[in-house]
Amino acid sequence: MPNVQAIWRGVDRHLVSLGAAILVLALVLCVVAPGFASVTTLYDMALALLPLLILALGLMFVLLVAAIDLSITATVAMTSVIAASLITRNGGYLSGELGIVIAFVSFILVGALIGLANGAMAAYVRMPSFMATLGTYLLLGGAAVWYTSLHTSSSSIAGLPGAFSVVGRGSVGPFPIALLIAAAVTVLAWLLVNRTAFGRWLAAVGSGQEAARVAGVPVQFTILGAFVICGVCAGVASIILTARIETGSPVLASNMLLDVVGAAVIGGVSLYGGVGKIGGVILGVLLLTMLDVGLRLMGMSLFAVLTVKGLVIVLAAAIDGLRNRMARR
Amino acid sequence: MVNRRNFTLGTLAAAVAGAAAGSWSLGALAQGGEGRVVALLFDSLQSPFWVSSNRILKQKIEEKGWSFLEAVSSLDDAKQFDQVKSMLSRNVDGIVIIQTDANAVIPAIREANAANVPMVHFMRPPAESDAKSITIVADNRTLAGDVANFVVEEARRLGGLKACVLVGDLGDANSIERRDGFLDVVSAHGDVVEVVSTIPTEWDPDKAFSGLTNALQANPDINCIFTPSDFLLPQIEQALKIAGKWVVRDEEGHVVLAGFDGDEGAYQRLRDGFLDVCGVQNLFLGVDLAIASFEQVWAGSEPEATQMARGFVIDYKNMAERETEMWGYHVLNG
Amino acid sequence: MIKQASPLLRMSGIKKSFDGVPVLKGIDLELAFGAVKGFVGGNGSGKSTTMNILGGVLKADAGRMELAGAPYDPAGPTDARTAGISFIHQELNLFPNLSVAENLSLEDYPRIGGQMGVIDWRAVRSRAGAALRSVGLSISPDVEVSSLTPGEQQLVEIAKALTADPKLIILDEPTTSLTSREIDRLFGIVRELRSRNIGIIYISHALADVREICDEIIVLREGVVTDEGDVHSMVTDRIVAGMVGRSLEQVFPRRRAPEARDTPPRLSVKGLSKRGTAKDIGFDIAPGEILGLCGLMGSGRTEVARMVFGLDGYDSGTVAVDGIPLRPRNPREAIKRGIAFLTEDRRVEGVHLQQSIVWNIPLVRLSKEGRALAWLDPSRLAAEASEIARRTNVKAASLEALVSTLSGGNQQKVVIAKWLTLSPSILILDEPTRGIDIGAKVEIYALIAELAEQGMSVLLISSENEELLGLSDRVVVLEQGEVREVIHRADDRFTEAGLTIASSAGGSGR
Repeated sequence: MPNVQAIWRGVDRHLVSLGAAILVLALVLCVVAPGFASVTTLYDMALALLPLLILALGLMFVLLVAAIDLSITATVAMTSVIAASLITRNGGYLSGELGIVIAFVSFILVGALIGLANGAMAAYVRMPSFMATLGTYLLLGGAAVWYTSLHTSSSSIAGLPGAFSVVGRGSVGPFPIALLIAAAVTVLAWLLVNRTAFGRWLAAVGSGQEAARVAGVPVQFTILGAFVICGVCAGVASIILTARIETGSPVLASNMLLDVVGAAVIGGVSLYGGVGKIGGVILGVLLLTMLDVGLRLMGMSLFAVLTVKGLVIVLAAAIDGLRNRMARR
Repeated sequence: MVNRRNFTLGTLAAAVAGAAAGSWSLGALAQGGEGRVVALLFDSLQSPFWVSSNRILKQKIEEKGWSFLEAVSSLDDAKQFDQVKSMLSRNVDGIVIIQTDANAVIPAIREANAANVPMVHFMRPPAESDAKSITIVADNRTLAGDVANFVVEEARRLGGLKACVLVGDLGDANSIERRDGFLDVVSAHGDVVEVVSTIPTEWDPDKAFSGLTNALQANPDINCIFTPSDFLLPQIEQALKIAGKWVVRDEEGHVVLAGFDGDEGAYQRLRDGFLDVCGVQNLFLGVDLAIASFEQVWAGSEPEATQMARGFVIDYKNMAERETEMWGYHVLNG
Repeated sequence: MIKQASPLLRMSGIKKSFDGVPVLKGIDLELAFGAVKGFVGGNGSGKSTTMNILGGVLKADAGRMELAGAPYDPAGPTDARTAGISFIHQELNLFPNLSVAENLSLEDYPRIGGQMGVIDWRAVRSRAGAALRSVGLSISPDVEVSSLTPGEQQLVEIAKALTADPKLIILDEPTTSLTSREIDRLFGIVRELRSRNIGIIYISHALADVREICDEIIVLREGVVTDEGDVHSMVTDRIVAGMVGRSLEQVFPRRRAPEARDTPPRLSVKGLSKRGTAKDIGFDIAPGEILGLCGLMGSGRTEVARMVFGLDGYDSGTVAVDGIPLRPRNPREAIKRGIAFLTEDRRVEGVHLQQSIVWNIPLVRLSKEGRALAWLDPSRLAAEASEIARRTNVKAASLEALVSTLSGGNQQKVVIAKWLTLSPSILILDEPTRGIDIGAKVEIYALIAELAEQGMSVLLISSENEELLGLSDRVVVLEQGEVREVIHRADDRFTEAGLTIASSAGGSGR
């Protein structure tokens, strides 16, 4: 049957093997980890991984243009404290429903602005994005704490109105609002990558900047755009995280960075640029989260779990390196 | 206490360590028995104080014939919130929580209120709010004052002391209370104890070490140190060794050392003659109060919202009779 | 030349298969002492496999080799070197950040006081001096290799090979990056080596070079020797026939004489100047015309093309399409106005090697409007891509194949296909057939002629005069960034000799 072969060739091997790995892991966990297969565990896990998914999708855009955004989690924290300072009942600048709408906009806007700054450094000043965003990461980390200290004597900004925090816990019908937001981000990202010229530009810039320039691709605009999208995603993830704890925290998501990069790389997004699929990122996030939850359910210590996760991430990065070498030959 | 907020965000290494700490967790299951189920939600298990709290809690719960579910949030409040929800959906009968951020824990308390499940904050109070929960606190301020009283006594005996005071994280109510408790007493006796230096550590052992080393160089005549937590003792020992001042009690050059918490490191140094006094947190009493609170709620009565687990001062004089009450003693001697 | 009893090299019945696919099906080759043998064949003809077997990199499945009468069976490249065979690769193996002298002594530094002693820098320099003299290179041994021209580097590489005192030298595509003056110098050295009884195997796509320097020519196709003979009998047509496997009347398509010239120019370049690169360059191209751009390396021919396309800036001058100047000067504006540009560096600037054919082809069209959110229909794009790939005759297992898996010729056809999606009115071709085997060359020539026939204006840049003559209606000769003259097809100097004289410095006595 030649058709079968043709279909097999069209299938992404990386996605298939990831899917297989997830299935195997799920089966193993069902057997060895009591409680993994329960509906509540799975439901909680699904809800908990949403912010990671949104961040990994955002990072994918930057990785596609062969750059990296190390400031992504610091962006989450910064947007969190700024938005919280606007609407906190303990002396926030705004009140009422309009205030809450403005707070939502501010998450997106502040995220976009930080992305814009990162993108401008990478695209126009031509700094290595690694260095530029490492700088932003430090700067935002410090600034978020400082900004918090201007608004409260405690270490975080509390007293967010209930109408805001409903985003973290509320549902529309049977669907949690956070899930709907994450689904919307995923669909938009998919459309952007697969159904617009911009999606092609991203891959073109990432897999050959010179050839992209000659072909008329607006290279600098594309890099800038990737960083802005990444910043916006950080802002959206921050909405969910902030609403969930009803507190603007300057250390929000501060220990998620490696998970974000790891999930993207496990999902087959190349650190060398030009390669990455939404489906892969979803599976990468799922695998990393399952690994984490499952190993803990099995009673492994925090450090053992870390070791295993680290190994998986290193393995994924090594596979990426090898694939890249093969492709360049 | 050993609630070290990672504000430094220093390097990639910090990011790695952060990712290390930052993962969702659902601890080991220890289900079984017909009795009550209590959830233990810690934010980290990285210092002897919390490891011991955890162990004593489990021990008492088992003694009661109940069982427990456990999860560690790795200093991630958002994750801890998910863990609370997850525990509630498993129908636990009570929750012991050690949150990282006093504000961020409020939504979790509300969830517990809505599910009618009692929640106990163990040795770390939440921010004020309309949400209802029970808080077991140490008498930080009084206890630190008692420690200071002993230091004053020693100063009288030795003919005056020049003191260096380490301070924890200013975002943490516990560290502010201990600082104030100690300084209030000491400044009232300025004739015998002079505070020549205070070092903000932000609960960062590296900052404690470098700050103390600098202070000892600037003021070589420092002969008394107060630390608001025993987990900084190894750094203090190192700094004193470098300055040539790690000397046992009653010998030339000894630095009067006052600690707080009562962990096994403090016990050991007290026994060996380097530590002179320590404000011991009464973990056993705290755990008993938590357990009793659950029982009261289940029986339909309403326990005190804030309960004090009074600590006590142990020093080289009363060590022989009181050491078995010190939790650090039990860590060291199994 | 002294007659020797046995030849320098004899390879007989050499066979080699990879994964059961025969690549060499019995190669016989003989090389006399002091002979220069041209070794030609298209991609996949087995040229490089044969040379790898000779150089000890690969082992033959069957067959024998003799070197100066003695059996020769190298276990590895080192054996080949000890036996007196030097292989000078297309990609030079010099360390650019070391000096010439260091490069020449890298394998065994002369030392004072035995093996572990300090390096004797004086000996290093004098050895380097001698080696450089042997190839007639008058540069200081202390300069860094990176500061040398490609031609000088090539000579340093030969000098390095000569320090091993070889009997046989293999030169692989030695002239690709050389100016014609440097080529002359190289050929002088080859002749000098021949007179010292050293045998040379000369591998090249550039048939004109092969015919100029070689005594004998051997032609390979699909692992078989298809033709062989001395240089006088091996005329270009015969060589090409041997390589392509069919008799060719002509490599170049028949060009119809250009139409009446009263139409306004499609592309007009006026007063194009850039300090140090171009000075007051001007030319017009009419619809349907092919304008050749001829000049040595460094004459500014590539730079002019990049300026016209807006890739590089310029100080003054105008580039106009249909009389309207291009503004702003950037590639996207050029693309919008219908200019297509096949750059010299195909692998870096022409295609995205790690993407598929069907991904590569629509890229220019998707960038043309600069609308980031322009909706894109993958199945329609694929249909268009496959249509246009058929037109340019891209040969691949599937359009999903990565471009990196294609041969140079097919990669170039992908680049052309990509630009044809624009339906451009102006086509700039910079070395369109560099590194492409003769079969694909013929196809590309035919395609260029066909496009011009349809009314496209073509600016053709090439270092092969033969190519310029075969395709162009007029040739603009550049020298040091200035237009030297324009030679029409009807002109009696429209010959290889004519172009060579015109383009080499001082050639027309100015």
